Amino acid sequence: MIRDITIGQYFPGTSVIHKLDPRMKIILTVLNIASLFLCRNFFSLLLMLAISVVWVLLSRISFKTILKGLKMILVILLFTAFLQIFYNDGGTVLWHPVESWDFKITTEGVFSAIFIAVRIVALILLSTLLTYTTSPTLLTDAIERLLSPLKVFHIKVHSLAMMMTIALRFIPTLIEEIDIIMSAQKARGADLETGSLMQRAKALVPILVPLFVNSFRRAYELAFAMEARCYGGDGKRTRLRVMKLQGRDFAMLAIALVCLAAAIVTSVVDMGGFFLFEKVI
Amino acid sequence: MAFLEVKNIGYSYSKGTPFEIVALHDCSFSVEKGEYVGVIGHTGSGKSTLMQMLNALVKPDSGTVMLDGKDINADKETARDTRFRVGLCFQYPEYQLFEETVRKDIAYGPTNMKLSAEEIEQRVQESAQIVGLPPELLDKSPFDLSGGEKRRAAIAGVMAMKPEVLILDEPAAGLDPIGRKVIMDMIEKYRLATGATVLLVSHSMETVAAVADRILVLNKGGIAMDGTVDEVFSRSDELIAMGLDVPAVTRIAVRLKEKGLPVDPCVYSVPQAVSMLLKLIGKKEGTA
Repeated sequence: MIRDITIGQYFPGTSVIHKLDPRMKIILTVLNIASLFLCRNFFSLLLMLAISVVWVLLSRISFKTILKGLKMILVILLFTAFLQIFYNDGGTVLWHPVESWDFKITTEGVFSAIFIAVRIVALILLSTLLTYTTSPTLLTDAIERLLSPLKVFHIKVHSLAMMMTIALRFIPTLIEEIDIIMSAQKARGADLETGSLMQRAKALVPILVPLFVNSFRRAYELAFAMEARCYGGDGKRTRLRVMKLQGRDFAMLAIALVCLAAAIVTSVVDMGGFFLFEKVI
Repeated sequence: MAFLEVKNIGYSYSKGTPFEIVALHDCSFSVEKGEYVGVIGHTGSGKSTLMQMLNALVKPDSGTVMLDGKDINADKETARDTRFRVGLCFQYPEYQLFEETVRKDIAYGPTNMKLSAEEIEQRVQESAQIVGLPPELLDKSPFDLSGGEKRRAAIAGVMAMKPEVLILDEPAAGLDPIGRKVIMDMIEKYRLATGATVLLVSHSMETVAAVADRILVLNKGGIAMDGTVDEVFSRSDELIAMGLDVPAVTRIAVRLKEKGLPVDPCVYSVPQAVSMLLKLIGKKEGTA
């Protein structure tokens, strides 16, 4: 069911990862993803994959939950890997069915397919872990603080963060609402699973119309409620939560920087042709 | 074999995640044709989940639901067919209106049943008449109606399928006493016109006691009581302990009994309360 979508969900907990300063967590995620994209060989890639797995272990979120999140992107993953096989034609030819065609499978093609797949898995692990272990309010709060230097350019950072908070806040509400509307229309005999693509697209109208109507209604209600309480984004606001970096934040930062350095070094230095890709993947 | 039979049903949400919640466990009951059953329970007692199982929207983890002697979850066809036979009207149904006109929206169910155009039109007219929507409203957009009219149009949409079992989840939620009365009258009208079985879900005992023949009380995912209105109300103290919203007169009767007065706590309407009090005073005067 639609309730099973776990991407972007938050799983409360008390692990080290949960307790990290959310600002640092965002920086770490960005650093780790940067390292991941700098990887040019299997050595650095496996290092990044190992780091991702260690993060997951530290967060004490069950692998079952993580795998469920990965299942959602399985199709994209397989499709990308499949295309990648034909994208790279270096190395030994493994399969070349018709001599006159340019269609062939080579060792490097297969390697790069595996490479891409592992990279996507690590990418998903790292980015979902951020939302799995950080509550939406903390996340937007951290984003607001990280972006606060932009105030110099008269960018309304607070309003942007408030919009994000509200948007995130309503994701579960909308999911629940879609669930109810779908059930209600199914109770009136809506058929969402069979028929041609056109028929199925048409069958979505009874779900999308009420969803939009209700969302606008809710947006108006929320705006009125905020105005009634004299909400104003500008001006000086004090904060309920004070964020302070601690030892563990710096320790994790050090690890991430070492990884970044390792990724850069192994990409530049030729490790004796150990699957070093010349082409940018 | 009863018309609608629920046997040992169990269900939990978000299975296998840290959020797993047992919604229902080992629920069994049966409903005869034409019965008017009130289903009451506290928020989170599992009543909405249970109702969605009766028309195969939610498949139970364990146990079976039989309609007319057939398992409704036997296959996809039966499940879909069941949705037309067991009409389920959700809470705040007006938020599910979507068509350009009220007529089209009411016709959505019958159209999905693949009925003929004349039959559909006739059903729209009939159900609009039952819920008291004047014909000139049928060509308006459902979004231009008032709140009460929207609710009635939505309920008409379920009634137009002419279900043999009509389930309504809090049909009067958020309405004033007059609005509530109008909704209850509509349900009665449908019942008389079709002889349908009705299940009325509510957290208000007062509403249910006034109309139902029988009451099912759900508590913490199980069936706590199942009996006639009088049987259930004779255990009023337990209902209060479950945190249910019992009528004010019932509360008075229970309090009087607690004080040691010879009072039958099975009181749920004002006339009953009056005769109970008169009896009490009469007896006292007699002995004094």
